[in-house]
Amino acid sequence: MAAEKSKFSFQSISKYMYLLSIVVVFAIFTILQPNFISLYSIQNMCGEIAPRLIMACGLTFVIFTGGIDLGAGYMVSATCVLTGLYLPKVGNWIIILVALAGLCMGTLNGIITTKLKLPSFIVTLCTQNFWNYIALSLCPDGSVIVPMTMRDVTAWMTYPILGIPATFWFSLIGLAALFVFQQYTKNGRAIYSVGANAQAARVAGVNIDSAQISAFAVSGLCCGLAGIMYAYKLRAANPTVGSTLQLSSLAAVALGGTAMAGGFGSVTRTLCGVITITAVTSGLNILSVNPLWQNIIIGIILIVAVILNSDNGDRNLVIK
Amino acid sequence: MAGQLLFKANGVGKTYGLNTVLRDIDMEIYSGEVIGLIGENGAGKSTLMKLIAGVTKPSMGSMELQGQPYSVNSILEANKHGIGMVFQEQSLVANLTISQNIYLGREKKYATLGFVNWAKMNADAKKALERIGIDLDVTKKVRDIDFAMRQMVEIAKVLDVVTETANGHAIILLDEPTTVLSDDEIKALFEQVRKMKEAGNAVIFISHRLDEVLEITDRIYVFKDGEETGVFPTEGADTNILYERMVGRVATGEFYIENRQTVATDEVVLQVKDLSVFGAFNHVSFDLHKGEVLGLCGVEGSGKEDVCAVLIGDVEPTSGKVIIGGKERTFKNPYQARHAGILSVPKERRDEGMIGILSIENNIVISHMEALQNGFILSGKKTEGIANEWVKKAGVKCVGIKQHINQLSGGNAQKVIFARALESNCPVLILNHPTRGVDVGSKEEIYTLIREMTEAGNSIIVIGDTLDECIGLSSRIIVLKDGLVTAEFDCPVGNKPTQMDIVQTMM
Amino acid sequence: MNNKWEASMETLSVGEQFAEKVKDNAKKDRIRRMMPIILLVVMTAIGAITQKNFFSARNLVNILYQMSIPLVISVSLMFVLLLGSIDLSIEGVMGFAGSFTAFLVQNRTNSNNFGIFGILIVLVICTCVGALTGFIHTKGRIASFITTYAVGQVMTGVAVLVYNSTPIAVTEPAFVTISQGRLFGIPYLTLMSFAIFAIGAIILNFTAFGRAVYAIGDNETAAASTGINVTLTKIKVFALSALMASAAGILMCIRLKLGQSSIGLNQMFPVVTAIVLGGGSLYGGKGGALSAFVGVLVYTELTNWLTLMGVDTYLRGVIQGVIIIVAVTLTIERTRKTISK
Repeated sequence: MAAEKSKFSFQSISKYMYLLSIVVVFAIFTILQPNFISLYSIQNMCGEIAPRLIMACGLTFVIFTGGIDLGAGYMVSATCVLTGLYLPKVGNWIIILVALAGLCMGTLNGIITTKLKLPSFIVTLCTQNFWNYIALSLCPDGSVIVPMTMRDVTAWMTYPILGIPATFWFSLIGLAALFVFQQYTKNGRAIYSVGANAQAARVAGVNIDSAQISAFAVSGLCCGLAGIMYAYKLRAANPTVGSTLQLSSLAAVALGGTAMAGGFGSVTRTLCGVITITAVTSGLNILSVNPLWQNIIIGIILIVAVILNSDNGDRNLVIK
Repeated sequence: MAGQLLFKANGVGKTYGLNTVLRDIDMEIYSGEVIGLIGENGAGKSTLMKLIAGVTKPSMGSMELQGQPYSVNSILEANKHGIGMVFQEQSLVANLTISQNIYLGREKKYATLGFVNWAKMNADAKKALERIGIDLDVTKKVRDIDFAMRQMVEIAKVLDVVTETANGHAIILLDEPTTVLSDDEIKALFEQVRKMKEAGNAVIFISHRLDEVLEITDRIYVFKDGEETGVFPTEGADTNILYERMVGRVATGEFYIENRQTVATDEVVLQVKDLSVFGAFNHVSFDLHKGEVLGLCGVEGSGKEDVCAVLIGDVEPTSGKVIIGGKERTFKNPYQARHAGILSVPKERRDEGMIGILSIENNIVISHMEALQNGFILSGKKTEGIANEWVKKAGVKCVGIKQHINQLSGGNAQKVIFARALESNCPVLILNHPTRGVDVGSKEEIYTLIREMTEAGNSIIVIGDTLDECIGLSSRIIVLKDGLVTAEFDCPVGNKPTQMDIVQTMM
Repeated sequence: MNNKWEASMETLSVGEQFAEKVKDNAKKDRIRRMMPIILLVVMTAIGAITQKNFFSARNLVNILYQMSIPLVISVSLMFVLLLGSIDLSIEGVMGFAGSFTAFLVQNRTNSNNFGIFGILIVLVICTCVGALTGFIHTKGRIASFITTYAVGQVMTGVAVLVYNSTPIAVTEPAFVTISQGRLFGIPYLTLMSFAIFAIGAIILNFTAFGRAVYAIGDNETAAASTGINVTLTKIKVFALSALMASAAGILMCIRLKLGQSSIGLNQMFPVVTAIVLGGGSLYGGKGGALSAFVGVLVYTELTNWLTLMGVDTYLRGVIQGVIIIVAVTLTIERTRKTISK
């Protein structure tokens, strides 16, 4: 009986966790450091949020299906490298090319998962090596700087609008597009149905392969866009830019209350998660906490968030 | 012949939600006898077994074991009381050896400091198998022995578990043990059952094959719709009376709304020609006409479910043709089948029907989203409109269309799934146990929906939850037995075949 | 495939056809189980052809030395994969164990000198972490890959925190002795690893706990119905996995005489590849000590060959990825109704 009671309160916390966490995090940091909410820090944070938001929102779709992409961080690294290296050759057209490359990477994950019927965590664990290989074999000696002559070509991406870098506004447009995809398209709803009960969706005649593949494709596309943003922002091809992003984007999705088992959640919730996680990292910076703590804290946030929104009652699955 | 009274059930029953699946069962089991349970699918035999074996607890009534009140929470606890069940779906671990399987979870008595004395365990396992007359290398892995042997190992395991505690007065429950066995193997099994009986144990035996029940049992309990309709000594039992008790009362034509049964047109929508799946069914052919309800009858394992599985692309046929819309088609999945015009309402509603944590609205439109788009964008107005319309039309009791489907009762959830099927615009609908686990009130509404489907020109293949239902709904019935079509009946209103007619071709 | 059945359909009853199908599956399964041995023969042949002194004592000892750390890790994964779960925290735990050992024994950075007790402390802490992981995974009903992923990240973070960006150099004399010592020409480290593997194999094959792991991986519901405590068994498995990972980390620390988080880097994935090559299943219930051993051996031979061919580490990662996908695809059984996410 006692266990049931505590489960109940867990669920009520998890319902509003995405809002609660923002309030709590901002409150804590403001108390510890009154300058935490300043125009400068907000502007700064918005710039930080943009690529993370796009990446995490893409990942959210994979998680809607009940799958996961453990290689998304490496995918951002690979696309960042591709953008940085080839930007001087093709100019801004690189955006379209790299976005397509990201789309293809994601689609590959999706095809292997659905057609070979392997679990996505295995598939992405394997394919992350591919992306890592692309990043590190193209930049074996670390970051490659985009030549100064390209400054004019890349400046528009970080041009401040209302004092906030353009990337942030782009990411909001992206969020809106993804929201429409999630809510008002055939594949969007099919993606939810796969996560909620794949067997039933299948019997109902839903094309679940196409739903899963499109979720991975969207995730790949978003990783591509995030990679592009980083390349433009850093003005460099950085082969390790994504290594910390995997954890923080997973934590952001979980913190938003999207169910890891699939079928429930929203990209708008992920927005809240991303804001919280970004606030945590920049707050720790402002407090000049040893950056080594970041992984530990975000890792713990991920565990707690996942525990809070794991739904115990509804689905009687064997958890492996 | 009968020994001492081992087990007694007084007015035992079981309800799931509003649905009563078993009511008011009295039963007595004496040592040294074999009891047969017969009845149609869903008559309550398996439920009663589960209550005795400790899988679930009864909702009413009480049970006694050797004069003491008997109430257990798990299979394990039942085992400790000397009651063990051999399950239909085998519960052996394929990658462990036979002896490891027999003593799985009971290694303690062979262990010192956590290390198991395998030699001693193997020797005991050998003895356990010899007790039922089987000589097998117990260090073989279960994956390397055939199904019949696995069944034997399972029986040996259960027997060993229960005799450990029951000293000679165990009760063994055998749920359809013969389905995967050949004739010789069945003979061997019966030999074992007789031995167990002679040793003073009691055996409860369930089978779909009446001849087997007549051969091996001493007394027969007959079940119908969750009720006990008769107890007969096997010696001198009249098969006709047994059949009659199994089919029991006949619901009125009114219940199945037979006055709205449509007369099939000549237009053929679906043709199945000489269809076979190796190991499931052979040479099945039929035409499905527009506006017709075609019933598929047969016991479990007769192949009727597999025919439907081929039609929705779940199973690849070995040979034969499926012709729909004038074209020969093969489907790789239900999505392709839906596009060709076949959709199924599945038997396992919770696992395969309801998309639990999605809204009623999404559950209704999911099979037909193509039609609700403006360009690439799904119109929220259209989907909501359609969902509201169906909720009203099908009489779904809910808070609103945004409510999750898993918060609805079984009957209401089933209505939502019917709404989905009707909304899909598929001319051929396969209804697999359409009223399984549905309360009486909702049943009637579902029957109305089925009649509306045919009036709208849909064609239906139905696997009935009961035989009665199948006859009541269908305008034609095909009977399968052991994978072959054994009979075909026309069922015009007023001149329907009786259940007796059909049961005799089924069993 | 279809034709094969069609021919015999007329002569057999449906029931006999079913039995025939079952037999056919069993046959296919037996062929599948032969695959690792065939692979071992092929890889050894390749080794013998491409390397002149392949069968020389020196090369064989060298292969055994290369196998040692993966073999210890394979004990972790052997148990976890048999459950059908995965432990992505192995690398983090390894890194932490290596770093913290260096921190506790005699070293250049601080004045600690706990010696053998330092190692014991590390083993105990890591086992507790593993048990906690198992607890969160089972009681929180969260898929193991996500739980262990998060725990792994936390442990990596803690590892780096332990030495605060400058890896700790070990000066413990015993470490020097062990890392350089040999018995009958075989390094102590190799012997220790093989001993640890043997213990793992004994636990798996000769205890009720080992049987329970098989049973749960094969059919969790059935296992529970025979009275196995599924939750406790799983927690034990994750504790054991972390224990073995920490042992691997400590061995690495002894070998390198340096404590840093990168000790664990890229250690887990190759062993998963190895186990899959050895015929272990990622879905649980299949595999075991022998198949893990064969897998690690095949994998080591493969790595040697790839190195000889001049393939770099990153490309090796790609090859591992392809191997896992292909091997798993070939070995799993699936029907049209199978859905994976």
